Amino acid sequence: MSDVRDRNESAWLLTKDGSRMQHGLREDMRRFDDTDEVDAVIIGAGAGGGTMTQRLARLGWKIVTFDAGPFWVPEADWVSDEAGSHNLYWTEPRQIGGGDPVPLGSNNSGRGVGGSMVHYAGYTPRFHPSDFRTMTLDGVGADWPIAYPDLKPYYELIEGELPVSGEHWPWGDPHDYPYRPQPVGGNGELFLRGALAAGIEAHVGPVAISNGRFGNRPHCIYRGFCLQGCKVNAKASPLITHIPDALAHGAEIRPDSMVTRIGIDELTGRATGVHYIRDGLERFQRARTVIVAGYSIETPRLLLNSTSARFPNGLANDFDQVGRYLMVQGAPQTAGRFEAEVRMFKAPPPEVSSEQFYETDPHKPYKRGFSIQTVSPLPITWAEHVMAQGRWGGEFRDYMSDYVHWACLGALCEFLPQPDNRVTLADEKDRHGMPVAHFSYTRCDNDRQLMSAATEVMERILKAAGADEVMTINRNAHLVGGARMAADEQHGVVDRDCRSFAVPNLMITDGSVLPTQGSANPALTIMAVAARAADRLIDRPID
Amino acid sequence: MTRAVRFPGFNVRSQSDHWDDATRAVIVGRVNALPAVRFFTPAEEAAAKCLLDQLVDQRTEPGSPRVDLVRMVDARLAEKQTDGWRYDTMPPDGAAWQQTLAALDEDSQRDHGVGFARCTWEEQHAMLEAFRDADDPNWHGLPRSQVWNLWTRYAATAFYSHPELWNEIGFSGPAYPRGYKNLGIDRLESYEVHDAEPGDDPMAGGTE
Ligand SMILES: Cc1cc2nc3c(=O)[nH]c(=O)nc-3n(C[C@H](O)[C@H](O)[C@H](O)COP(=O)(O)OP(=O)(O)OC[C@H]3O[C@@H](n4cnc5c(N)ncnc54)[C@H](O)[C@@H]3O)c2cc1C
Ligand code: SF4
Repeated sequence: MSDVRDRNESAWLLTKDGSRMQHGLREDMRRFDDTDEVDAVIIGAGAGGGTMTQRLARLGWKIVTFDAGPFWVPEADWVSDEAGSHNLYWTEPRQIGGGDPVPLGSNNSGRGVGGSMVHYAGYTPRFHPSDFRTMTLDGVGADWPIAYPDLKPYYELIEGELPVSGEHWPWGDPHDYPYRPQPVGGNGELFLRGALAAGIEAHVGPVAISNGRFGNRPHCIYRGFCLQGCKVNAKASPLITHIPDALAHGAEIRPDSMVTRIGIDELTGRATGVHYIRDGLERFQRARTVIVAGYSIETPRLLLNSTSARFPNGLANDFDQVGRYLMVQGAPQTAGRFEAEVRMFKAPPPEVSSEQFYETDPHKPYKRGFSIQTVSPLPITWAEHVMAQGRWGGEFRDYMSDYVHWACLGALCEFLPQPDNRVTLADEKDRHGMPVAHFSYTRCDNDRQLMSAATEVMERILKAAGADEVMTINRNAHLVGGARMAADEQHGVVDRDCRSFAVPNLMITDGSVLPTQGSANPALTIMAVAARAADRLIDRPID
Repeated sequence: MTRAVRFPGFNVRSQSDHWDDATRAVIVGRVNALPAVRFFTPAEEAAAKCLLDQLVDQRTEPGSPRVDLVRMVDARLAEKQTDGWRYDTMPPDGAAWQQTLAALDEDSQRDHGVGFARCTWEEQHAMLEAFRDADDPNWHGLPRSQVWNLWTRYAATAFYSHPELWNEIGFSGPAYPRGYKNLGIDRLESYEVHDAEPGDDPMAGGTE
């Protein structure tokens, strides 16, 4: 653990009780002027941007990291309540369409320092080696310009920094976690029991909640509100895993500042800084390098809105790649009813997972696969599950009163990247006059087959555990892609080191660069990709 | 039909001394300090109240919880507190609510000669049942399923944010800073209460 502290001191920079940053760290934060040409601006302090901020600050770069949302103080700003957590989500206007429109907001988009990881569940699996070569292996999806061994050392580093707890992981590239698995609640217990009875392998983890204290961060108290922001600071998010160390190394975090356009020098074609709005005023911060990390909807939106004579269709969009190949994971959710009381709201929702069905099975008609995990919806989310079944009125309310008897599993199906699943700019404008994002999504046949296969397995597990009834709804989870990395500029927006093909000093280091998604939750991989991109700046500086 | 009390004596609010200040403030505000209606017109308010009550089967019966759904939804619309997305085939949420409530009144005028709020509980229920069962994917020029999604989403979010309903379903509410000590099947904290009607599996028709 001491080696973690040497390279990232964040957990030791909180007060002894772990409740907040040490005195002065935030108040005395270094502050730059708009006219200072800083080494880099980073747009978004989430998984990718937060990691990048810490890495570059450690390299001695002068950094300003913008976030459109607040610089959270968990004890004061977050609540142990579902409806009261609404302000954690990105709720600016957005439009959805296509054959299978994907709801946004609470489901997948955060806002504020820490990004979507503030209210992510906390699963942190690695991608499998096959994920980086799906086109070669299976004739679907895309090959990445990097391979698993390129990311492996960064997976190990980040797993130490979050840190991750779980059992020995037998799937993909088998590995161990720095912390032992967490105890499980009723939902995890039933998943393990059902999987065993059905002959399916399942394990506890991997979750970014340490088992025990970590630095000054306290132990989890099993309160089950991980998706509402962890007030305890037991669950990892960049707000506590990377930002404190970045501040200690001289980075500035500029919250409540929405970046609306990236500036371009029409002569040299280089990025010059960012236009942003703070307190109602439009401003411009100069920078030598611009690093975008606003996630799969806002990153394409910002690039598309950054037009110039050189880039009339949006920045780095010469080949109409920006916004395309955006993916969600199909996330059917199957619940099972037990005579006993499960009380799935007790314990963190992320507990147990299985990756047994992750890889392509040559005996099946579809390619690629899915994973299965515990999800433990709180009452409002559970009500959505029950209503999505078409129930309403008295029947709906009777179902709800049965809440303590239900266990709930969720699958993550590897939906394939498709060019027309994309972000464009709508005619509608937000209150700053910036066009809002339109996100179009349509599933392909392989996607649909995966969803029914995953549902079948989840029903099998729950019945094997003793459920007398099961019910499934179809939903989506996570976002990746939208500005993917590729071998060349005709197939993507950035190269293997997250540098844009079109603008030498423009980088993208967030979920939008992922060319495929596997059936793993994406945050760990996003952080690993960002950490690698930061390291590459040492060996291959921007000229 | 009165609903059987499944968790007799369970009262989430009796634990509020164990909640943190920020959480307590939010929940007390939700229960006691809702602003007056300011987004809906009186006609919209009347229709919305009946619609929302129908969706979650909230009737005025002595002893049963009353959640002021219309004020909760009105507050969200007035503050533009949306879910962060809307279908490109629907107007923005505020306009969508206004338009659909007017359409509901129009249907009700046509079928019963009065607005939706003046119909009996049974008539309202039948109208919504018919709305659900209709084959036409459009309703007054809007996609029927997306209208239903809008109504139910707002109704469910408001209803199950209320501590009275947590009592009804046995949910223990805010759990910080105390957390839970007894995880696992059939295990309770000292203040939790077992289901008195565990055989009431709604799917098995236990409550019919
Ligand atoms: C409910 C939920 C559950 C999830 N569960 C898991 C899970 O269990 N495991 C997992 O791995 N992943 C999970 N995820 C997904 C995970 O959180 C995201 O994939 C990840 O955080 C994305 O990282 P990012 O850096 O791309 O973007 P984010 O972390 O979203 O950060 C982007 C940041 O950029 C800011 N921003 C955007 N545009 C601008 C702009 N123009 N100007 C200024 N700031 C801007 C935003 O405010 C935001 O803070 C979950 C997500 C949600 C919402
Ligand atoms: S269950 Fe644990 S990790 Fe999740 S919010 Fe509660 S204390 Fe944090």
